[in-house]
Amino acid sequence: MAGATSALFILDIKGRCLISRNYRGDVTSAQAEQFFTKLLEKEGDVESQGPVGYDNGVTYMFIQHNNVYLMTASRQNCNAASLILFLHHVVDVFRCYFEELEEESIRDNFVVVYELLDEMMDFGYPQCTDANILSEFIKTDAYRMEVTQRPPMALTNAVSWRSEGIYYSSNEVFLDVVESVNILVNSNGQIIRSDVIGAIKMRTYLSGMPECKLGLNDRVLLEAQGGTTKGKAIDLDDIKFHQCVRLARFDSDRTISFIPPDGSFDLMTYRISTQVKPLIWVEAQVVRHARSRVEIMVKARSQFKERSSANHVEIELPVPCDASNPNVRTSMGRAKYAPEKDALLWKIRSFPGNKEFMLAAELRLPSVTSEEAVSDRKAPIRVKFEIPYFTVSGIQVRFLKIIEKSGYQTLPWVRYLTVAGEYELRLI
Amino acid sequence: MAPPAQSHRSPSPSQPSGKGEVSDLKMQLRQLAGSRAPGTDDSKRELFKKVISYMTIGIDVSSVFSEMVMCSATSDIVLKKMCYLYVGNYARYNPDLSLLTINFLQRDCKDEDPMIRGLALRSLCTLRVANLVEYLVGPLGSGLKDGNSYVRMVAAVGVLKLYHISSSTCMDADFPVTLKHLMLNDPDAQVVANCLCALQEIWSLEATTSEEASREREVLLSKPVIYYLLNRIKEFSEWAQCIVLELVSKYVPTDSNEIFDIMNLLEDRLQHANGAVVLATVKVFLQLTLSLTDTHQQVYERIKAPLLTQVSSGSPEQSYAVLSHLHLLVMRAPILFSTDYKHFYCQYNEPFYVKKLKLEMLTAVANESNTYEIVTELCEYAANVDIPMARESIRAVGKIALQQYDVNAIVDRLLQFLEMEKDYVTAETLVLVKDLLRKYPQWSHDCIAVVGNISSKNVQEPKAKAALIWMLGEYAQDMQDAPYVLESLAENWDDEHSAEVRLHLLTAVLKCFVRRPPETQKALGAALAAGLSDFHQDVHDRALFYYRLLQYKVSVAEGVVNPPKQAVSVFADTQSSEIKDRIFDEFNSLAVVYQKPSYMFTDKEHRGPFAFSEELGNLSIGAESAENIVSAQRVDANDQDLLLSTSEKEESRGPSNNGSAYSAPSYDSSAPLVASHAQSELVSLDQTLPQAPQAIDDLLGLSFAVTPTPAASPPPLRLNAKAVLDPNTFQQKWRQLPVSISQEGSVTPQGVAALTTPQALLRHMQGHFIHCIASGGQAPNFKFFFFAQKAEESSTFLVECIINSSSCKAQIKIKADDQGTSHAFVALFQSALSSFGMS
Repeated sequence: MAGATSALFILDIKGRCLISRNYRGDVTSAQAEQFFTKLLEKEGDVESQGPVGYDNGVTYMFIQHNNVYLMTASRQNCNAASLILFLHHVVDVFRCYFEELEEESIRDNFVVVYELLDEMMDFGYPQCTDANILSEFIKTDAYRMEVTQRPPMALTNAVSWRSEGIYYSSNEVFLDVVESVNILVNSNGQIIRSDVIGAIKMRTYLSGMPECKLGLNDRVLLEAQGGTTKGKAIDLDDIKFHQCVRLARFDSDRTISFIPPDGSFDLMTYRISTQVKPLIWVEAQVVRHARSRVEIMVKARSQFKERSSANHVEIELPVPCDASNPNVRTSMGRAKYAPEKDALLWKIRSFPGNKEFMLAAELRLPSVTSEEAVSDRKAPIRVKFEIPYFTVSGIQVRFLKIIEKSGYQTLPWVRYLTVAGEYELRLI
Repeated sequence: MAPPAQSHRSPSPSQPSGKGEVSDLKMQLRQLAGSRAPGTDDSKRELFKKVISYMTIGIDVSSVFSEMVMCSATSDIVLKKMCYLYVGNYARYNPDLSLLTINFLQRDCKDEDPMIRGLALRSLCTLRVANLVEYLVGPLGSGLKDGNSYVRMVAAVGVLKLYHISSSTCMDADFPVTLKHLMLNDPDAQVVANCLCALQEIWSLEATTSEEASREREVLLSKPVIYYLLNRIKEFSEWAQCIVLELVSKYVPTDSNEIFDIMNLLEDRLQHANGAVVLATVKVFLQLTLSLTDTHQQVYERIKAPLLTQVSSGSPEQSYAVLSHLHLLVMRAPILFSTDYKHFYCQYNEPFYVKKLKLEMLTAVANESNTYEIVTELCEYAANVDIPMARESIRAVGKIALQQYDVNAIVDRLLQFLEMEKDYVTAETLVLVKDLLRKYPQWSHDCIAVVGNISSKNVQEPKAKAALIWMLGEYAQDMQDAPYVLESLAENWDDEHSAEVRLHLLTAVLKCFVRRPPETQKALGAALAAGLSDFHQDVHDRALFYYRLLQYKVSVAEGVVNPPKQAVSVFADTQSSEIKDRIFDEFNSLAVVYQKPSYMFTDKEHRGPFAFSEELGNLSIGAESAENIVSAQRVDANDQDLLLSTSEKEESRGPSNNGSAYSAPSYDSSAPLVASHAQSELVSLDQTLPQAPQAIDDLLGLSFAVTPTPAASPPPLRLNAKAVLDPNTFQQKWRQLPVSISQEGSVTPQGVAALTTPQALLRHMQGHFIHCIASGGQAPNFKFFFFAQKAEESSTFLVECIINSSSCKAQIKIKADDQGTSHAFVALFQSALSSFGMS
């Protein structure tokens, strides 16, 4: 059963209650603080404890965002996954309202926070967590408002995510296809895990109730249409759609048709688990001269076509935690020692395809080491990058048709971007 | 919200200390209260904001209550919201003052702006003051009929709030009926969803006392309602979909066509962006197909991809929740993820709690085909990452080794760990090697060679040290210097702080002695002497015991410490299959995260809707299959049933005894739960048993004059009035004996009426010398276990009796020591049962 939540708390980093909304009146904020203090007192950081805790008949679930914790308390057997997700949605809503969610913004806006908490959950049951809709009747600038607020039609509409009567003088749609590459390479240079998580993000500035239809180079669809697979068709593994997409139609004929919400949202996400070639390959050789110095030689190679280029490449090279006095030379970009991460950060602003760059570094090691040898955490090399106008999967938006009864013309803009997700290469 | 109790918390220097400011505010508010000058609202806003901010940081501002109420006459909605917030916070502590607010809230409930109507109604319902409930009924009634769906949505939840303040007022006003009507007819999906939530809670709480309520609760699960909700599923918000899907997962379809129809309808929900909806759909699929084995397997295949995506793309917290569910699934279908094991490889930056679950997954999915890769990966963690992670990884390798047949490679890996010469790695590995040797003694040769090289000085952790000492004793003949290592350990007896290690040391020295007497003599002497003077009772006793054994005869001592052993084939599983099934029933809830069923961590009054009907499901299944041949497994499950029902009974007594809501016994989350829990329940039952005979005497004398006592009109079978049977024996017998009779009986309507307190039946049956040992269940299904003994001999009858109060039928199952008389007994039992309620 989906149990109801008793209360929702927003705590600061020390576990003190900033704001609480006691929906059912059976868990006090004092109890919540007590639980959290216990949690903080336990050894290790809160991070390692897991997001679910139990104390004296009450289950607490919490997530951290910047310097605040959002926490639910419940005495019933709740739906754990859904509540955690709900908390994340609450964070999203707050971020829409206050730009960034942190202790300061909560303190500055507590009246709005109370209002929002009341609309997002009633008596412990989640209600509406769509910032677009909430923002129609809970305004941050309420103080200057003259007109009386009405509950938005959207709360009651069949199309709950879009209100009627939206108007823009120029109608525009922006589509971002963002793919994030997760890869794990072991110390023998073998790829042991790789997948691509993709998302089509949309920003719509459209009037009225537009009907949209999106065409992709989805293999299943193209083959169903008679197999004119010009160019590349792709297999999407696990697709998830925004609630506005008519799932039944997708199931029957793979058409993605929808009435979009206003503003920005994720239209769909997908996962592709086929083997991906690492877009940026990094090899490192570490020579350790005990008690004097460590030498690191790194070779980074881009393995994509010349016409693309990776931007903001950042390669994080782990170094021993007791190293100091780095002396670094690079053939491209800049390298900086970041002692707080025990790493060298090698930044290359633009990394063209099919190129190779080198880095050589030498760091001092202390001549005296403590007897209890520090366990050397062998961290992996981690890489961040962005490659615009490029997708690993080859996904393409073939068309985006927008039909509205007033018959206006729109121009959809499409961008492609590939970024590094969890991109780890283990050192030898 | 901050209750006044917190106000004593010392505010930080930058914050106002309270008193002076509050009285200032009071003054200013009073001035503004009557003013109609332009700009009043703006200054009111500033003041209100101040009041609320004081309230939030814990300063008691209840003293401005009346001023706030006076200022609330405004059309400004933000002001109103702040005022509602304030009132909602302090009304409970100022019930007298809150009467003041009723007036303006009621007026706002009739405002022309639906937003204000809704907000006022919500605030009115959250006052939680019992003596004001009468004022709620009117506004709620009109709120439910309001033309605006926002108001109806608030009103639906408002009814539930009213029910929690005063259930009788809510029932008297017939609100549930209105809710039901709304649920089935309202055009707005959120109103429907809120009605559903409210009805679920109300009916399941009412069901404990009212027949009608439990029927209504069944209606929620009936075909028309379920189909109605399913057909509208796309209209619901993502959260409401979760609630509907949860309800659907309890629905029992009549045939497989229905199952497929529902699954086809919900298929697309697996593509929903909200992970909670996906997980709720997964639950529906799993529950619906429980009876169709093949389809159930297909469902596993179908849900795999969506679940794996959630693991890798959501937040770490989300992955944690999903991984818990995957772990449950993989326990039921280990083959499922065996090719997808790479999804459970840990990322460097993941939080520890996610990594730990991933290690558990890797352990669970390991089989012949993927073990090599998985163990290679685990070794990577053991060598590379932080210490807790390294420890967990080594344990995972050990677990895999213990569940595999081909351990060849793994043993090598473990031995490599020992050569890494990191203390914590060595410690964990030693414990594992010990377990491994107990299961695979054939590896002793390789292991001992490496273990022998480890200096006991490098091992500090008690568990590891104990493991090392055990190996020294067990394989004394293979390890050259075992006696001498033990000797030096025995000589440094006082340095050893852990009693566990000292106990192991005593045993190991003795084991070594019986194999290599001359070399170990010195060590033995030292160990025994030290042990005898040890302050720890167990160590002392063991030393004394060994000493006397040796005095008596060395060969006997050898038989005690070093008997021929068999390799352990399977290490005991900690959780019974019954518990696992219950957790599976509660898929998509905290039960899965905690890995224990919800009754272990929630108080009785917080069990959710339908938690009891699950119990019923179990009962009826038990009844059906036991009619067939009684397989050992089935009986086992019955036993568990019995245990559970006793504990249920105990709990239901809890709240009524101590009245206050939350002092009901809470369950220790970490204890090994079922066994100890159930045992303590049984003990407490045991203690009440001896009092039974007196109760019988009373009843015989008073209320049962009409019913034939066995003495008056003796039936062929006479029962022992003072029969005693302890629960353990009952359980044992229940397990051993076959069912000798299984038949249907009946209960009179009067009897059913009296069943509202099951104790009445127990007393009645005791009047017939049939004693109850355990009872449980909820209307309409009750379950009782009875026993009786023959008067002349100690031959026992055991009865399981399930009474369905709506059909007035009883399912009776008899087990008897003496099969011959069981027919006579069942006649006696039936007559006793059918006379229940007639007196």
